[in-house]
Amino acid sequence: MNSRGSNACLKMNRLLIIIALLAAAMSLRAGDRSDSIVRPVLSAYSIEAGSDHLCNTYLTPLHYSGWRTALSYERMQAMKFNPERFIQRLDLRFWAGASKNPARNATMWQIGMRPSWSMLWRTRLPHSLTVAAGGTAAADIGMLYLMRNSNNPVAVQASGTIGITAMAAWNGRIGRLPLTLRYQPTMPLAGCFFSPDYDELYYEIWLGNHKGLAHFAWPGNFFRLDNLLTADLHFGATTLRLGYRCEIFSSKASGIVSRDISHMFVLGVSTEWLSLRAGSRHTPDARTISALY
Amino acid sequence: MKKILTAIAAFWLISLTACHDVEKWDNDIEGNFDALWTVLDRHYCFFEEKGIDWDSVYKEYRARITPETNSLQLYSICADMLNELRDGHVNLSAPFATSYYKKWWSDYPQNYDKRLVDQYYLHFGGLTKNGLTYAMLPDSTGYMRYPSFSYGMSDGTLDWALAMLHQCHGLIIDIRDNGGGDISTVETFVARFINERILAGYISHKSGPGHKDFSEPYPFYYEPAPAPRIHWDKPVVVLTNRSTFSAANNFVSIMQYLPNVTIVGDNTGGGSGMPFSSEIPCGWSVRFSGSPVYDAHMQVTENGVAPDIHVDLNPDSAMVGIDTMLNTALGVLNRQRQ
Repeated sequence: MNSRGSNACLKMNRLLIIIALLAAAMSLRAGDRSDSIVRPVLSAYSIEAGSDHLCNTYLTPLHYSGWRTALSYERMQAMKFNPERFIQRLDLRFWAGASKNPARNATMWQIGMRPSWSMLWRTRLPHSLTVAAGGTAAADIGMLYLMRNSNNPVAVQASGTIGITAMAAWNGRIGRLPLTLRYQPTMPLAGCFFSPDYDELYYEIWLGNHKGLAHFAWPGNFFRLDNLLTADLHFGATTLRLGYRCEIFSSKASGIVSRDISHMFVLGVSTEWLSLRAGSRHTPDARTISALY
Repeated sequence: MKKILTAIAAFWLISLTACHDVEKWDNDIEGNFDALWTVLDRHYCFFEEKGIDWDSVYKEYRARITPETNSLQLYSICADMLNELRDGHVNLSAPFATSYYKKWWSDYPQNYDKRLVDQYYLHFGGLTKNGLTYAMLPDSTGYMRYPSFSYGMSDGTLDWALAMLHQCHGLIIDIRDNGGGDISTVETFVARFINERILAGYISHKSGPGHKDFSEPYPFYYEPAPAPRIHWDKPVVVLTNRSTFSAANNFVSIMQYLPNVTIVGDNTGGGSGMPFSSEIPCGWSVRFSGSPVYDAHMQVTENGVAPDIHVDLNPDSAMVGIDTMLNTALGVLNRQRQ
């Protein structure tokens, strides 16, 4: 009887141990859930407007000045594989502008677009500072159109480049208003770009002479520095973006110099959002790793 | 924080020094003159062919500029300087006037009287579409007059015109006084007179600012108009004068090598450089020959194309209703008919 009773006790103990282990395992998984990470997507839509100063010696030896405006979409997100350290940024811009010659009797129009994708490694510093640096890939297509010219009215601008980008951001407050300040320069380092020969007409290109139109790009002959300074003012779920963009561009190929310096004010809205799939294991206490905020 | 600010400052410093230089001129009398001379010096394409010493031209005309020179006088000096290029494609355009070199036609007989043809040959008849006038002359010779390649020419119009003239034994294409226009219209026309792909010519361009900096001439070809477009394979006479210029000159330079074609009339006016445009600080624009176009035998036709049969318009005959050039063209076709 005693031995039977002790056996039963042993079985009960084993069962309790198994239940305890299962409970521990369950609690461990529950603990995992509390450590799960969500990576919100930062989307920003902006309009930009400002002044433009440009020159393209294929069209004219004179410096033109006028206005330029742009629409841009920026998307940032921490990377899945190491969200604390790596972020990605997608930027898409469309721009248009018109400039006048010094005598103000000729107009040069321009349109263009540039999609770019970047990945940055970041580290957090004291005082709520974050710095990041990484690589970027961009494609440009656009044109300048000088109405008064006869057979050389257009200069096509096209390039595909890879380069570097960096970011310095500060999250803080002005009074009670949360604020994010950011400075982000981007510069292409290598790639290729289109340029006709010195006085080559597009008619000749149309006839089939495609020789020497693609040029290797490096900062010595294709320099662009895109400086973006933004202040994101967080009003609840929506953020107001104010900023300034200065883009400096200068290229030289086949004796043709093209320069374009623009200063633009940025006004936009941004928001962070989550994309959740059905059956997602994220819980309200999941850790949020933002790309910028 | 200091390091970050230093890095940003360094970045800006680099960017400020990275822009490529572009020469600037002052917007005054001297600056505008120098800008104009320099634009031509770096981009005009016929200095060598015409034996022009552009540096000497600078010295001669720069000496005419004084502190008292005003804008109108500057325009006059610049226009005279540009006339040294002897090129009908060179124009200086100011708000009050546009200069152009005239001697490529003004030193020669005009050799064309539109009223003469309209009254005594077309009897104020014929059909006109897209600038093209066409009619059958009494001896069953087809006649086409095309006064400008600027009109643009539709394939449909050419189909109608050639179909209406299909009973004719020969065709006269009268491009006297045709000052040129769109070079692609030349291809539209020529495509009706060829049955196989032809070498139409070569095009080159300045590859640098030096007077001898040119690209390797690039050949370009014309294809026959595709079926069911109407072609013309009977004899053709192209009637020319000194005012047959630019795209019209290019048309003649191509047609002259076709087997059934005879060029009759006067030397064409030339203008074989594709015009380029630029401007100077005061806002005046300048147009000039920038890309030379050669014929299929690599000949420059800047000074025109010589006719196979040279004939002038006899003013006395014109008085009694006879266009001696048109009559010569009719005679050529009638002889070929026999």
